[in-house]
Amino acid sequence: MTETATPYIALSGIRKGYRIGGEPISIFSGLDLAIPHGDFVAVMGPSGSGKSTLLNMLAGIDRPDGGTLRIGTSRLDQMGEAARSAWRAHNMGIVFQFYNLLPMLTAAENVELPLLLKPLTRKERRIRVDRVLDLVGLAGREKQYPAMMSGGQQQRIGIARAIVSDPGLLLCDEPTGDLDRKSADEVLEMLRFLNRHLEKTIVMVTHDPQAALYARRTLHLDKGDFVEEKRAA
Amino acid sequence: MSTHSRQALVMIRTNLSSLPRRFAISASMILSVALVVCVLAGFLSMARGFETALTAAGSPSVAVILGGGTNQEMGSDVPAAVIRTLDAMTGDLGALRDAGGKLILSREIVVPVDVKQVADGTARTLGLHGMDAAGPSIREGISLSARRVFAPGAREIAVGDRLASEFGLRVGDMVRLGAVDWTVVGHFSARGSASESEIWADLDAVRAAFDRQGQIQSLKLRLVDPTTLERLQDKIATITGTPLVALSEADLYAAQSGRTASLIRLFGWPLALLMAVGATAGALNTMMSSVADRTVEIATVRALGFSRLSAFLGTWVEAMVLAGAGALLGLFASWLIFNGWQASTIGANNARMAFQLAVTPDVLLTSGLLGVAIGLLGGALPAIAATRLPLTAALRARG
Repeated sequence: MTETATPYIALSGIRKGYRIGGEPISIFSGLDLAIPHGDFVAVMGPSGSGKSTLLNMLAGIDRPDGGTLRIGTSRLDQMGEAARSAWRAHNMGIVFQFYNLLPMLTAAENVELPLLLKPLTRKERRIRVDRVLDLVGLAGREKQYPAMMSGGQQQRIGIARAIVSDPGLLLCDEPTGDLDRKSADEVLEMLRFLNRHLEKTIVMVTHDPQAALYARRTLHLDKGDFVEEKRAA
Repeated sequence: MSTHSRQALVMIRTNLSSLPRRFAISASMILSVALVVCVLAGFLSMARGFETALTAAGSPSVAVILGGGTNQEMGSDVPAAVIRTLDAMTGDLGALRDAGGKLILSREIVVPVDVKQVADGTARTLGLHGMDAAGPSIREGISLSARRVFAPGAREIAVGDRLASEFGLRVGDMVRLGAVDWTVVGHFSARGSASESEIWADLDAVRAAFDRQGQIQSLKLRLVDPTTLERLQDKIATITGTPLVALSEADLYAAQSGRTASLIRLFGWPLALLMAVGATAGALNTMMSSVADRTVEIATVRALGFSRLSAFLGTWVEAMVLAGAGALLGLFASWLIFNGWQASTIGANNARMAFQLAVTPDVLLTSGLLGVAIGLLGGALPAIAATRLPLTAALRARG
């Protein structure tokens, strides 16, 4: 499953396996994937199909056993843990299913977290935080704590945190899995906006076919391989 | 501020802010550290108080001559011939002489006597010091707080302030020491030193009452200045017939206090260290629970790109803050409980010696450092564990 143009994300011959109870379990044995810059891809599939493993590898949280994994100009499969950590900080934002906001920090402080990894002044960080909070429609809620917000609002804070350092890639792990339909649609609209107007490349793992409709294309993963691709009309 | 410092500060702040979520186990760690600190401070303050009482009692300007090859008053015997030889020595001995050129010295003897306490009627052994009339004036830092000292030849005693208040010995009271009654004629203050646990009387009266005629255990002389002790030592080295030792009163008491203080510390340190091992295990447990409680938070910020070092420092600093709080609590409690506490022990000459526990800055520092060390050690392993948390935990866990 490859793209002909120079892909932004390129996986080639990816092999990955685990040992469970001493037994080797193969997840991927030669997975190929190409995603061009500015794409919005939904990855669907049954439990155990390898969605989470794929996402973990794209995030640099996990490393393939074999094959090449390139994002932009960086070979993640050749990087050590510290280098992948630094790479994540500068090139990608992650949106979590359960938002993963730090409860003792305010909305603005949560959004500011990725900026603390960059050589920015306090004023520069504040300007960026205000801008993304405005973008996700939560201007004026800077000092609120996560516990004071609805699930949809918390996820929008999560998205603000993911984009505040202006990464080229957004990885979303079931971003609407914990939301009601209305909030889910708001969040998905936001992701579509970020893709279409800010040209963010988005890879979204989801079980929700409705959520997948917001993507430009949907890849179905089963038993470690892509079995079907649908493009949005 | 570097990005590393900012990461570490955020982690420290989030960890400390989440402490109320782990109130019970964090409080138990604080209390266990406080207990260890309190126990160690108790023993150290006892040793320090004992040392202070004895070293304050001894002056470097007062020389003590002992005979019989011992460096303690008990067991010492100074023959009369030695005193006659000393008296006959002319020239500079390094010790003060009176207007007539006679050496100012006090022949002394210590007799253990049993005195009944007013409070419970139990008998305690105290030191009755028989001395010449010059004895009280040779000693340094002594002041009469009531009436006078004993009269020569009379069965009269002067009692140290601490002893007087503890045993209820008022001026005019009759006290039975040995087989005869003695009249309390005065109280003296010795700035809280061990001398305040002494009873003074005339040498001849003591020797007569306890059948110690002719016995002298020590000689006390006032040195011209502390540096002249060497001259005195050189002079008495020329006296043959009996081995003699001349040392300063300060050294005499320091030697006595050193042994007992070491013994107190010998009991205190192992006990405190054993307790510290238990407290360290408790700290380890507390911090492991803290890491488990914050798994998602730690994994989340690590997934965002925060370094392992920040995760390590966040947990380690939390452990040290808790241990520091425990140490402060323990120090405050030990200062409240122990500082100034009256204690007593068997001192020199098998006589009881009262002293005050002293929670001094060095006691506070040593005990406090032990408390912080518990945090350092107990927090290190959980801090390492925090750096090794699987980041996949962040992607799937409910925060």
